[in-house]
Amino acid sequence: MLDKPASALRLRERLLDSERLMEETGCYDGITELTLRNQDPLKFETLHTKLRAYCVSAREMARRISASPGVREVGEMVVAIYTPEGDAIALSNGIMVHVHTMSRFIKWMIKNGYEENPKIREGDIFANNDAFIGTVQVPDVMDVVPIFHEGTLVGWAGAVCHELEAGGITPGGDVCLAQERFTEGLFVCAEKIGENDEIRRDYVIRCERNLRMPIYWVLDEKAKVASCIDMRESVKQLISEIGLDYWMKVSKEFIEEGRRAQLARTRQLTVPGIYRGHTLYGHVTAGKPGFQLLGDPDWLYNIPIEMEITTDGKITMDFEGTQPWGYHSMNCTPAGMDGGMFVTLTQHMNFEGLVNDGAWMATELKLPHGTWTNPDNEMVATATSWALLLPAYGVFQRLLSRSFVARGYVEEAFVGQVNSPMIEMGGESQYGTPFGMAHFECAAAGSGALAIKDGLDTAYVGWNPESDMGNIEVWEQSMPMVYIGRSIVPNSGGAGKYRGGCSFVSTWLINKTSHLRLHTSEHSSRVFDNAGMCGGYPAPTCQKHRAVRNSNIHELAARGEPLAHAPGIDPHVSDYERNIGGDHVVVEGPYITSPHKSGDIFSHSYNGGGGYGDVLERDPIKTAWDVENGFLTREAADQVFGIVLEDDEDGYPVADIDATVERRAAMRKERLAKAIPVSDWIAKERGRVEKADFAPEVKKMYASAIKLSSRFTRDFSDFWNVDAKSIFMPGAKP
Amino acid sequence: MTSYSKEVLGDLAAGKLPWPQTRRIMSAYKDDDRFFKMVAVYQDRVAWKDPILLPVSDHLFICQSGDGRITRCECGHSFGDYRKNWKLNAAINVRNTEEALREIYPNSDLPDPEWMEIREFICPECGTLHEVEAAAPGYPIVHDFEPDLEGFYREWLGKPL
Repeated sequence: MLDKPASALRLRERLLDSERLMEETGCYDGITELTLRNQDPLKFETLHTKLRAYCVSAREMARRISASPGVREVGEMVVAIYTPEGDAIALSNGIMVHVHTMSRFIKWMIKNGYEENPKIREGDIFANNDAFIGTVQVPDVMDVVPIFHEGTLVGWAGAVCHELEAGGITPGGDVCLAQERFTEGLFVCAEKIGENDEIRRDYVIRCERNLRMPIYWVLDEKAKVASCIDMRESVKQLISEIGLDYWMKVSKEFIEEGRRAQLARTRQLTVPGIYRGHTLYGHVTAGKPGFQLLGDPDWLYNIPIEMEITTDGKITMDFEGTQPWGYHSMNCTPAGMDGGMFVTLTQHMNFEGLVNDGAWMATELKLPHGTWTNPDNEMVATATSWALLLPAYGVFQRLLSRSFVARGYVEEAFVGQVNSPMIEMGGESQYGTPFGMAHFECAAAGSGALAIKDGLDTAYVGWNPESDMGNIEVWEQSMPMVYIGRSIVPNSGGAGKYRGGCSFVSTWLINKTSHLRLHTSEHSSRVFDNAGMCGGYPAPTCQKHRAVRNSNIHELAARGEPLAHAPGIDPHVSDYERNIGGDHVVVEGPYITSPHKSGDIFSHSYNGGGGYGDVLERDPIKTAWDVENGFLTREAADQVFGIVLEDDEDGYPVADIDATVERRAAMRKERLAKAIPVSDWIAKERGRVEKADFAPEVKKMYASAIKLSSRFTRDFSDFWNVDAKSIFMPGAKP
Repeated sequence: MTSYSKEVLGDLAAGKLPWPQTRRIMSAYKDDDRFFKMVAVYQDRVAWKDPILLPVSDHLFICQSGDGRITRCECGHSFGDYRKNWKLNAAINVRNTEEALREIYPNSDLPDPEWMEIREFICPECGTLHEVEAAAPGYPIVHDFEPDLEGFYREWLGKPL
């Protein structure tokens, strides 16, 4: 145990010293024994509980200061307390993805000489939203304040809110058309934005003049600063009670305890070994307006992941074989990748005990340079990094779940998060003012299934563990659209013994505006990006967007005739087309097109999760309930699940158990009759591989993976017994 | 230490426990004797006598047999040495046309079969659907799980194989 009092070293030296000690001892800050915990475990635990209470309380206060429905309604905010070197000691609930990204921000300032210039003083406020410094994307704006005790810096308090408008080339924050950094919006690059606990007026003016809707950003700044000051004062009070030396030691022991707890948790819940999985993301952009010349038309992204759990409990995630960064908004930085890891761990493994940066220190991410996970160019755009982050960490959850199943903890197996598409908008508001806004009802999609029950319907996303779609009435106050429908999308969960959770679709009537630009992102309609496991099917891909321009809905309403409130269950003809007159438009992939105006109709759906287990084992009675309540269609119950439904005397579906058993036996036979040995399939398919008889996007995907990864090249070549390089990169140097 | 009976764990794995009880199990401290108890639950479920060493999936297990350590279906079918990818010895049905995908997704928009296909890995004896891969055409079949069986038993369970 290195028994260090509050150090007189300068911050940069303290940080480097801490990193060296970790390297040398394998323990955080060289803490090889948890002396204070062993001396008085009750005091140790009580203090951490207090710190956590400070964080939770500060966040709740901030939510009541914020004007943003993103923060107030769906809780897109998190706060945390850090060591002087920037390691998280305790955190609140909320969007925990940003706890470690704030840590990177603090360390970046320290390493870049902020002590000398612009200086770190009591009462200073620093802000950042640059993902290459430490955040995930431009709308994730973080504020930190130093905590001083009698002139010594003893920690930091930090807060993040996801802003609904970032001033980019398209309105909102997840700026889908950003293809380079210069189109993403207002950057605040680790700047001192306030002194003496007051936000500088010139910073506020910059926000007011560079954002379409500055009220959200500016009031969120005030909310964040208030929460930081609240935490700072609580920590100072605590230090006056327990003494500075005790604080400096215990705050670091908390982190080492968190690291050890994560290792122990892994040894308790999982099985060591190598786990592999992959997902794909398809982006359809060809022919859509606004893409600049460097942006490729249509992309297919392959995301393979190899996870290793060693017998000491360390988890390593390796992204080798994934795709290069590109001139699009879906790149991510290592900070964002860390954030994805952190938010996943906090939900799937660290749901008890001390949760802090220690958990992150017990893991490792291998992010190949030059890929979307670790771009070798800091000019790339990261505005919709979640488009690839979400499916990637969905794979991580499935890999973890496989380990839980192997260990016997079936109740923890959770097919997990989904890629939840987002809608953003801007133009003229219903009040006649300029506006821009991201709609955060996407914070409540369907989840993947569990190994013991169906997934959560319209109630879960990975990035916000307190998923909430928010109230319709609150959203309507902020946008010139009124809901004419918000309903479950039948069959939107992947089929399986336990189905994935279903998503929902919103339908809006554009109202009281001369023009409204609608954009969607994180939208992958060409491929499945939410897989199932143990025989469960992937969730359906994102649904297409359906719009009606120049609709006759007002005339229909005046005549009291039927309207349509959702697309319906016929994939070929929507209920809008059946019931509403006007110009009907169907768009695949992200919605990027010309503005809408009052009287138009627009629909946007969210994703459901993958299924778990063999679909022919699903409970018929539960399925009848699902059909009755609109989660499954009769067609799917019969055709996919093999469940025979009859109507009772009131017309409600009832499962015919005997007929179901008979039908399923026939389906199983049919399944066997259709299947062929895998060896036969490989022999047959090899001819197609040798000719690279694939769509251009698929060929390009393989070529870029082969260019970046010798392992992917070797695995591909070995599996098909071909020379992958000569097939996909003819003319390349051997 | 938290501990549950084999009957409770059997019902948990079968999804038969009432939700309040399941939730209590999820929220409570984990039961450190879970692994061997759960293996015993699975052992009762299978018709064969070879000892189960590790569950791999819903109906797939690594067991000790006369042929060594193999991946075996609940029905008894062997997929061979557990260190090799069991999928290579399975039967497969690939859905790479709109018509075949529509059978599973009757009421949804479909992905482009030129970009993506579904591969169903099936036990050639009992017809159980063990795993579904969603992959781009030409993507090598993934070896999902290579457990460190020796390390797991020796170092984590303290009970050498």
